[in-house]
Amino acid sequence: MTLALESPLIELTEVSKHFVSGVRVLSDVSLAVFKKEFVSILGPSGCGKSTILRLAAGLDIVSTGKVQTPALVAKAEGATAFVFQEPTLMPWTSVFNNVWLPLRLQGSGLDQSRARVVAALKSVGLEDFAHAYPAQLSGGMKMRASIARALITEPKILLMDEPFAALDDLSRHRLNDDLLHWQQERSIATLFVTHNIAEAVFLSSRVLVMGARPGRIIHEVTIDEPYPRRPAFRESMRFVDYCRALATALGHATEQPQQTR
Amino acid sequence: MKRILHKLLPALTLLTFLLLWELGVRWANIPAYTLPTPSVIVLSLIDHWPSLALSWWFTIKITLGALFLACLGGVLIASVFSLSPQIERAFFPIAVVLQVTPIVAIAPLMLIYIESTTAALLLCAWIVAFFPILSNTVTGLRATDRNLVELFRLYRASPWQRLVLLRAPAALPYFLTGLKISGGLSLIGAVTAEMVAGSAGRQTGLASRILEASFRTETPKMFAALALLVLTGVIIFLLFNALSRLLLGGWHSSEQSHTVDHNS
Amino acid sequence: MALRIVQSIFLLGLLLSAAHAQQAVTFATNWKAQAAHGGFYQAVADGTYKKYGLDVTIRQGGPQVNNRPLLPARRIDFLMTGNLLHSFDNVKNGIPVVVVAAMFQKDPQALMAHPGQGYENFAALKNAPTALIAKDGQFTWWQWLKMVHGFKDETLKPYNYNLGPFLAQPKAIQQGYSVAEPIYIQEQGKFKPVVHLLADHGFSTYSTLIEARTETVKNNPDLVQRFVDASVIGWVNFMYGDRSAANALMMKDNPEISLAEIEASVVLMKQQGIVDSGEAQTMGIGAMNAARIQDFFNQMVKAGLYQAKDVDLSKVATTQFVNKQLGIDLKKSLAPK
Repeated sequence: MTLALESPLIELTEVSKHFVSGVRVLSDVSLAVFKKEFVSILGPSGCGKSTILRLAAGLDIVSTGKVQTPALVAKAEGATAFVFQEPTLMPWTSVFNNVWLPLRLQGSGLDQSRARVVAALKSVGLEDFAHAYPAQLSGGMKMRASIARALITEPKILLMDEPFAALDDLSRHRLNDDLLHWQQERSIATLFVTHNIAEAVFLSSRVLVMGARPGRIIHEVTIDEPYPRRPAFRESMRFVDYCRALATALGHATEQPQQTR
Repeated sequence: MKRILHKLLPALTLLTFLLLWELGVRWANIPAYTLPTPSVIVLSLIDHWPSLALSWWFTIKITLGALFLACLGGVLIASVFSLSPQIERAFFPIAVVLQVTPIVAIAPLMLIYIESTTAALLLCAWIVAFFPILSNTVTGLRATDRNLVELFRLYRASPWQRLVLLRAPAALPYFLTGLKISGGLSLIGAVTAEMVAGSAGRQTGLASRILEASFRTETPKMFAALALLVLTGVIIFLLFNALSRLLLGGWHSSEQSHTVDHNS
Repeated sequence: MALRIVQSIFLLGLLLSAAHAQQAVTFATNWKAQAAHGGFYQAVADGTYKKYGLDVTIRQGGPQVNNRPLLPARRIDFLMTGNLLHSFDNVKNGIPVVVVAAMFQKDPQALMAHPGQGYENFAALKNAPTALIAKDGQFTWWQWLKMVHGFKDETLKPYNYNLGPFLAQPKAIQQGYSVAEPIYIQEQGKFKPVVHLLADHGFSTYSTLIEARTETVKNNPDLVQRFVDASVIGWVNFMYGDRSAANALMMKDNPEISLAEIEASVVLMKQQGIVDSGEAQTMGIGAMNAARIQDFFNQMVKAGLYQAKDVDLSKVATTQFVNKQLGIDLKKSLAPK
């Protein structure tokens, strides 16, 4: 679980965020993600889950509070990886070039990067589609390419915003299994946003439940199941119990009337 | 068999039209100086080929020259606009003014202000062709996927990298749309300018041949020159369509007839 | 009963003659109303056409207007053209129209230059760096200037009937009507230009010709004769009589022209013998001579504009309606005593 002597790779301390319009998105959020941890954020829409990710990615600034993340460290490009809800691939070029992009932006040429790109494609199972265009891939394959791109810089943290929401159950389960495999292999601290309870339970060591308007963490559940997690876990009683606990917590999150200011 | 027919359909339609034209004029006994038949036009084309060919080449040069300059100007200015919203606000109205000014009115004026007739014609054709490229490219540069922009930010891409690797390819389909529009407009601009303002000596294009034939009441020759103009327009259209297919065929929805689906 | 029949016939006769009295005719010119069209406007304004049983509508031409196709297309009845080259082209291309009268014995087509620039001699004109020539000239008599007088295409710049470029460039020359443009140049540029009539250098065509369809000449020669006659009378009255009504009508049709300009133009027309010179003085205005047409054609063949076999000269013009000494007595009666 958490190794108290190590410092977290992602840390939000009493973070609040409101937009110029005055809408308060986050209120007093604190969380920490350590190396090799897989933390999920569950919550209703509009509760600011994506905003937390963007703050952790350095794409947005806090209004009050502190954020500590490799994304805010100079010269540490590549330490932070982000996977969006859409595959976000460049449609005009090949899968190979898409996966190469982060290295290329760091100044790494084609010859230097070739081996690493091929390896990344292989690890997500797309080695035969290096020269295909994104339009030719299925949804699941596009997501794999997006993950390959995320992993190519050997990031320390991985931020994922409901990446599998658009996929069918079968593809999602397969990708869940693979994701855990890749994440554990590389010991990446992962912050994963989803509204799928079963997914959160299967993947995470901790699940944070958020309430909406303004967004804040109202509950935390620790999933005490060792890694690597087998598909059989999904059918166990423990799994069902965790899901029920989270469902209850989520129900509370949406029930309580909140203030917008 | 069905596929061959499908491919030949445009050609067959054209041939049928020409046949009806030929027979119709003959049957109604319309004199050649009012409406010549296609066969008479072809004969006139062959007869006057030396002078028509030279004029054709001149018109093509003006058209392509103006188009090239329109691309240059359009893309450059669009890039500047995309980098600075203030500059865009300041200068976009001028671009609009250029677009709506009728060439017919300003072509004679251009010839008064500009020494070289060819330069004046180029300018007129450019004015007509430049706006669609500018407008479409500006839209295209703005139309980049927001997530991709964030991704580039995440990896701390330089502005140059962002322009070359992200914005330019994203703008390409839009630019090509503008190009397709401007291709035809450039031809029309070149011809209109010459027709309204005239041109001189050896530097004359098909518009002058049309005028000349009209003044000399040589109607078949007029139609022959017109036919060459139409042909030029069609070739430009087909050329840019092919270019678009070449550059976008692999990936852009506008050029996809179906997507190949693999199983994940 | 018999009385009734007689009355009916009388009424019918009146009706018929009334219908015949005003035959509607459209005559298209080749420019906006100017003194060079004066005779036709005169015949409308003073009722001469009406006297000849014609209700004539004059349809102006202009810088961007080409009325010539309207004649074979039967949209107009008579057409004014500027020179015989158009007629040669018509016959060459099988267009069934024919010249029936020539109102000008001399073509006023001229080249103009700034004074004191060395263009006092016609031969110097071809060396001008800029020759402002309009489209109608560029494709017709400019070719003759190139072939016979050594002018070069490189000097040609399009002339869009705007005096600006000529006024701004002292070394430029431009085309114009000798009885019109010099007046405007004097007004706007405040100098008197050097004027070289093409007619003085071999361009011997008739001008301000009246064209009609060959079918009209064949099927309705009476109509043609009446129109030609009335037009000739109109010209006599315009040149020598009271033209105030004609002037007013022209200024109404073309608001850009002034009375002073019209009158100055008439003076020039008389001075240069445009309308009433040579054969017109003995045979009447509108006179035509087949031999002269032949001679002009030969010159154009020599200049390379045509091949002899292209044009059957017998089809170009017919003299059956002119050379009748019409108007000579009228002119005498109008002369100041």
